[in-house]
Amino acid sequence: MLFSSITFLYYFLPVMAALYWIFPKRMKNAALLLGSLFFYAWGEPKYTLIMIFSIVQGFLFGLLEERYRQTKSGRIFCFLSVCISLFFLIYFKYADFFIQNVNRATGLSIPFLRISLPVGISFYTFQMISYSVDVYRGHKAQKNIVDLAVYITMFPQLVAGPIVRYGDLSAQLAKRTHSAALACDGIRRFVIGLAKKVLLANQFGELCDICLSSKEKSVLLSWLYAVGFTLQIYYDFSGYSDMAIGLGKLFGFRIPENFRYPYCAVSITEFWRRWHISLGSWFRDYVYIPLGGNRAGKKRQLFNITVVWSLTGLWHGASWNFVCWGLFFAALLIAEKMWLLRLLEKSRAIAHLYVLFSVVIGFVLFRAADLKEAARHIGGLFGAGGIPLALPEAVYYLKSYAAVFLLGALGAGPAVSKLLKVSLQKKACRMIIYALEPAVLVALVLIITGYLVDGSFQPFLYFRF
Amino acid sequence: MDAKIKDIIVCAAFFLLLFGGLLLCILKPKPAYLDTERRSLLGFPELSADSVLNGRFSAGFESYAADNFPYRDAFRSVKALTAAKAFRQMDNNGIYASDGYLAAMEYPLNESSLDHAADRFRFVYETYLTADNHVYLSVIPDKNCFLAQKSGRLTMDYADFEKQMAQKADFAAYIPISDLLTLDDYYKTDTHWRQENIEDVAKRLLQAMGAGAQKEYERRTLTRDFYGVYYGQAALPVRPDKLSYLTGEDIEGAMAYDWQNGRRIFVYDLDRAAGKDPYEMFLSGPLSLITVHNPDAPKEMRLVMFRDSFGSSIAPLFIGSYSEITLVDIRYIHPNLLEKWIDFKGCDVLFLYSTLVLNHSETLK
Repeated sequence: MLFSSITFLYYFLPVMAALYWIFPKRMKNAALLLGSLFFYAWGEPKYTLIMIFSIVQGFLFGLLEERYRQTKSGRIFCFLSVCISLFFLIYFKYADFFIQNVNRATGLSIPFLRISLPVGISFYTFQMISYSVDVYRGHKAQKNIVDLAVYITMFPQLVAGPIVRYGDLSAQLAKRTHSAALACDGIRRFVIGLAKKVLLANQFGELCDICLSSKEKSVLLSWLYAVGFTLQIYYDFSGYSDMAIGLGKLFGFRIPENFRYPYCAVSITEFWRRWHISLGSWFRDYVYIPLGGNRAGKKRQLFNITVVWSLTGLWHGASWNFVCWGLFFAALLIAEKMWLLRLLEKSRAIAHLYVLFSVVIGFVLFRAADLKEAARHIGGLFGAGGIPLALPEAVYYLKSYAAVFLLGALGAGPAVSKLLKVSLQKKACRMIIYALEPAVLVALVLIITGYLVDGSFQPFLYFRF
Repeated sequence: MDAKIKDIIVCAAFFLLLFGGLLLCILKPKPAYLDTERRSLLGFPELSADSVLNGRFSAGFESYAADNFPYRDAFRSVKALTAAKAFRQMDNNGIYASDGYLAAMEYPLNESSLDHAADRFRFVYETYLTADNHVYLSVIPDKNCFLAQKSGRLTMDYADFEKQMAQKADFAAYIPISDLLTLDDYYKTDTHWRQENIEDVAKRLLQAMGAGAQKEYERRTLTRDFYGVYYGQAALPVRPDKLSYLTGEDIEGAMAYDWQNGRRIFVYDLDRAAGKDPYEMFLSGPLSLITVHNPDAPKEMRLVMFRDSFGSSIAPLFIGSYSEITLVDIRYIHPNLLEKWIDFKGCDVLFLYSTLVLNHSETLK
């Protein structure tokens, strides 16, 4: 079930909210669990059992880890739990990729398994691993399987993150407050996220589809596609994170931020501290630091960065273009660590342009079906193949989407948020904003409903993870 | 306003909206058919253990919920207006409004489609026609020819379109008609041309085919507003059209036969004029094979017209000049089957198609 659907907005959410509020305090987690399992089973009825199995094994091994902490057995239990979690992820996501490469390397014709990927498996697997490792490292194991299950399955962040650490949520599972202020904050965040997804990301998505299917290839069309996708993926994913954080607040949870205006970064290092923050910090804490981080010499550090970014690429998709995407950023990060950052400090404007350019190239690589297609699209940006600068179709769509691009560029920065913050400090402006906010949010929901009723199916990009 | 009060109002408004929407979704009766979109709404999906377990029910319900949302037309208008006015987008799902007219962008020119169309026409020519037949081709430009470029939309080169089609179907004598047409000759909310404005087109075609003088007609206008096919698709507030038709002695005295359904029909079907698509009043809409007889016209004058829906409204203006007009729509009947019903001996043959069909000729069998 997508958040940006009539089913979620007008069927699931009101019923879930009503049930949650009706259930007594001690049963609110149970209500949330039931709702989340229903939410997941709605789209993946058969794979719900795999998720439940993952939770049960994590719960049991967690108890064993706590009991045998600081012993070899504790380490073995942690290892087993992580392996079981990873097994499902590797099987469902990478089996056919593995088979494809074995066939290519050996000339064999091993048949593909053609298994469909359970939605959200990359996210909840990482959450489960985070729980297992955190318990091994000293966190108290969860004694209530319902609470652990809520942590893993909580529908706001189940299918596309943020990847929430158990430590960030454990206290809130036991005790959390609800208030009109928190709920209002949550509603605002949810509606803004929904607007980002439906009103912006989906429009950019349509433009990208037009660019891909157009026979009038031109440099302008290539750039419309590249920049369009760069904005689509940002609004799609940050919009989803906003919705997850907003929905979390509706149910009393404070979920950490996942995006902080990444397109304002002045280095790739900074970009990855602002983009999909939860994934970056997960890889830092569970792969990079255990490998030695930056504390085992320069060569080892560069090796660690390469490993982490290869895995980051692979996490996004079972294809070599994702690995190349990861390695592309690894190369930039290494260059920055070694000498480039000092150079970038000389000019903020040039540094910003460098980041935007690198990110655009990176996302063209990310979106392509394979390396050949990626090369073609990237080549198109520079007129490869002798394609003309602009043709009528590209000019038309530039004009047609100009306002959407402007809004997209404006919304990707903190200007609007800063303006609101400053305005709220002045009493008169604050009164006006307070008076308008309910109407603006309702109007946005009605407009979004119009788009949902009119539109065709547009899944979140990160759904395939 | 106090922040606390504001927070309560936001929460109340948001959940009232969602709960109100839920109640309307469940309780409001759902129409079986959408006049504006000219289709039936999706039905409730099959609910069974199998459909639930394999995800068919949930996928079907998602589509059903969006399709059957209350006040669908109003919400689609909200979307169309937001796209046009707030986002300044130049089209909404390819449909645009300009000067009070609605149109669907037709771009680019699909050469392989023209090849396919010409190939199907050539098949008919080589299979059924001889030197006794006078064969003609004419291309009807769609509305975009007069609207797209001036409104900054994507537009094909219509002159090149006609030239290519004439070259590809060089077995037929080409009769140009686009110079006789302007934007006013088309409905504002529909794809088609207005019958009352195409007498000059009919005259040119008849003269080119050596088919004698045109008759005088009386114009009649339906009282009901005509909401064309683009009206529902665009979901924009546009004034509806009025549908008029031309009639006279020859037309009223003509007898038409629908071979597809084995029944007599009227040239102007006034029951269909009151139906879901009033344009179907012209020769009862999309039918594969119709013959129209005019006992008062010269017996040797017979016409076989290969056509699309534009042909339905111009064909009545040929009745005065031909004793028999056979209208063939090879989107619905394979040309292989025509000899069972049509005697091509000595007749005029006219291929009359709009650019819309020729540019998407995969529908031609």
